[in-house]
This record gives sequence, C-alpha cells and structure tokens, in this order.
Amino acid sequence: MSKFLECIGVGKIYPGKTEPVEALRGIDFSCGAGDFVCLLGRSGCGKSTLLQMVAGLERPTAGQIVVANRELDGPSTATSIVFQDHGLFPWMTVQKNVEFNMKARGTPAAERAAIARRFLDMTSLSGFADRYPHELSGGMRQRVGIARALTTDPKALLMDEPFGALDAQTRGKLQDELLQIWEQQRTTVLFVTHSIDEALLLADRILVFTPRPGRIAADIKVDLPRPRAPQSAAFTALARELRGLVGADREID
Amino acid sequence: MQLRRAWGLLPLALLLLAWELAVQAEIYPSILLPPPTKVLMVFVDDWDIVLGNAAASIGRGAVGITLSFLFAVPLGLMIGRYRLLDTMTDWSIQIFRSIPPIALIPLALLFLGIGDKPAIALIFLAGTWPLLINTIFGVRNIERTLIKVARAARASEFLVMKDIILPAALPAIFTGLRLAVGGGWLTVVTAEMIAVKSGLGYMILNAQLTFRSDLIIAGIIVIGGIGLLADQAVRRVRAHVCRWQEGLTASPE
Repeated sequence: MSKFLECIGVGKIYPGKTEPVEALRGIDFSCGAGDFVCLLGRSGCGKSTLLQMVAGLERPTAGQIVVANRELDGPSTATSIVFQDHGLFPWMTVQKNVEFNMKARGTPAAERAAIARRFLDMTSLSGFADRYPHELSGGMRQRVGIARALTTDPKALLMDEPFGALDAQTRGKLQDELLQIWEQQRTTVLFVTHSIDEALLLADRILVFTPRPGRIAADIKVDLPRPRAPQSAAFTALARELRGLVGADREID
Repeated sequence: MQLRRAWGLLPLALLLLAWELAVQAEIYPSILLPPPTKVLMVFVDDWDIVLGNAAASIGRGAVGITLSFLFAVPLGLMIGRYRLLDTMTDWSIQIFRSIPPIALIPLALLFLGIGDKPAIALIFLAGTWPLLINTIFGVRNIERTLIKVARAARASEFLVMKDIILPAALPAIFTGLRLAVGGGWLTVVTAEMIAVKSGLGYMILNAQLTFRSDLIIAGIIVIGGIGLLADQAVRRVRAHVCRWQEGLTASPE
C-alpha cells in the first residue's frame, strides 16, 4: 500500500506569553491510503495540533508533512476536516451547510445540490435539508459536519474529537455509522480522541501521544475483527496496555 | 402576549392623568400648559403643519442613516477582518465617536451653510459610529471554528466575506442600526433647531416664539412616536433577517 500521509521530524513551538511552548517534538510516522488511524492521548499532548497541521490550518515549526505525495503548504484538496464543535454555519440551512465546501471550489449549483442530497441520504438527514442547525440535536449536527466533509470526495477525513461532545448513546451510534461510511468510501481516517475505548472500537492503528512536549510514545496495531466487542478478552487486554502507555488519569476513560 | 403588551401603555396613561390634574390645579396658566384636549386639537386644526414638518424630519433622518449604513458597514467588515486596518483606525474611531454631533453644528454651518446639507451631515456622523463599532464587534466575535472551516475548504476571500463574515456580523450590525436610528433621530431634531428652516425641531422652536405650547407638546409627542415606530421597524426587520438566530439567544421571560 502506498503512503498517503507522511510526517517527517514534525515539531511545533508556539511563541507563548512568557516563554516558547513546545507543543510537539520529532513526530515521525506515515500511513497508507484507506487506513483508520487514531491519535490518542490526554488533553494538551498536541494530538489536535498535529491534526490541524495535517489539515494545513497550522504550519509546523520543524520538519515536513507530505500529503498525497506533495509537501503541505496550506489546506490540501485531498483532505477534509471535521471539528468537535462541528463548525456549522448557523445562518445556513443543513443543505447549504453541506454544499459549502463544494461552493468554495466553484462546483456549479445544480451539481452541488445533487451531491449534497446524496450525502444527506447517506447520513440519514434527507428529511432535514431545510432546517437550521439550531433545530437539530448534537448528533445530527455532527452528521451534517461529516456529510459536508465527504462531499468533496476527500482521500482522507481528518476528525478532531468529533464525538467528544455527544452523550454515550449517540456517540456509539455515530461510531458505527462512521465505520460503515469508512468501509463504503475507503477513505483514510485520522481520528483524534482521548477515549481509549473509542480508539479501540474504531482504529486499525493507534498512535499514543504523551505530553510536554507532545511525542508519539507508541504505535499500536489493532488486529481485532469488526464489529468489536468491548467485553472481549483481547479488547480489555489492549485497553489495559493503552491505559499504561497513556499514563491514565481521570481524563481518560 | 398581545394582552401583556398593553401594560406598556400604563406609564403613558399615568403621565396623561398627571398632566390633566396639573391643568385642573392650574399650576401654570393654560397658555403655558394647555390641557390634553387642546393639544389633541392641533392634530385636527394644524395637521398640515405637523405632517409637513414630520415628513421633512423623517426624510433627513432616512437619508442620513442610509448614508452612514452604506459607509460604516463595509468599512466595519474590513476593519474587523484585517488587523492592520484595525490598528490604523482604532484611535481615530475612539476620538471621533467621543465628539457629540451637536458639537459639530458650528463647523457644519460654517462649511455647509443653512439647509439640508449640514443637518444630513450631522445625522450621518451620529449614525456612523454606533454602526461602525458594532459591525467591527460582530466580525470580531465570529466563532473561530467557522473561519477554520472556510480556510480548510480553501474558500476565496470574497466568499468568506459574503457567506461567513457578513451573516455572522448581522445581529451586531442590527444592534448598531438600532443605536444609529435612535441617535440619528435625536440629532435630526437638534440640528433642525439650529441649522434648517423646516422639520419638527424647527417647528417646536418656532412655536415657542409664538407662545404655541400646544404645538410644542404636539411636536414632542410626534417626535417620541416616530422614535418608537422607527425602533420597532428595525426590530421587525432584524427578527426576519436573523431568524436563523432564534433559539440561540436567550429571550427575557
């Protein structure tokens, strides 16, 4: 499998108020097309920063990031990002929100509408096209965010704790739906989370981050068949191992 | 709801009662403090004077506020979006907004003579500052994720302005418009007392010279009534244009 994403010696230092803050140091990893990779760690370990850099929204202060064989110097058309607070425009209907990324690319209106409808169908939102975001539940809003990210046919979905703000039940449902979408579309997924269970349920591979400065402490392959059962012995064994690596504290469930 | 609104008439009714009692008690001779019925007769006998002057005032106010809207909103969007422009204009805005438009009447008369021009110039100034400051504030307060969504989608600067910055700032722009209409209307009446030979401000000042207290009070009632209607009109338009905001903002019980 070819390398889709490659980080080579990536580091990030923020100027900071009193002294520079080193958010990430020496990040080296690559992943192939179609992989489902979770970036796992407690808050402040730089995993979100890395995702923002892969999305082209922030620049690394050291090293380089290669996406789809091109060194990154801004947002790439090969990736789409999904935010924890979904980033929906409150003044646009669901339909217009889903069309936005295509509109930014200059896709003609009729084509936009048709593609948007297809992805609204896929995320079971077709009945809500004319609603405004404030009329939707948290889970539905994040579905809109995912639908919007898929419309430009990205090679990779970059997801920044997308289900972090949802209740457990909705979260489980959206995790299942995401796996279905991933199996259908065969996109690469880079998924930031601080939940060990979530990482184990979803990922082929888990990169464990430790803080100050953020570094990859371990690169764990998850070879469990899907759908995964959190009660299984293999699952709990891996969860225990991850808890040790992450340096479990109360933030990690 | 409708019934509850009627409570708003209570203070006005009390004021009317106090007025009538003051007349009955003959605190002032009736040439100075005419009874409510006499003031009411102004709208029957001198309706043409009142209507003509009200129309002149409303016309000036509308032209002045429209000009300030066309000037301040685009400028405010730019200042809110571009840091350098903000740094350049911040001090100037703080200085000029501290100068009451009335204080500029002498200069306005010197430069523009007596007539519509100085009055409209002053209304324009009165409306510009609240509109400008609120527009800048509206742009500043935009949710940062929304800008990230636009950047990740590689949206053009024009699309960002039109589809994101402007709608995001609209509620604040309308707040600015309410303040501008209120402040502009005050300025209309004041400017007319000095700079023009028509309008409600001119009418009540002139009525003083001819001992027509009934006309003065009628004029004051009309000034207040128009202020109320103008504010209600802006609120209506705002409620319609910003209907996507429903449920996002708390409304008083």
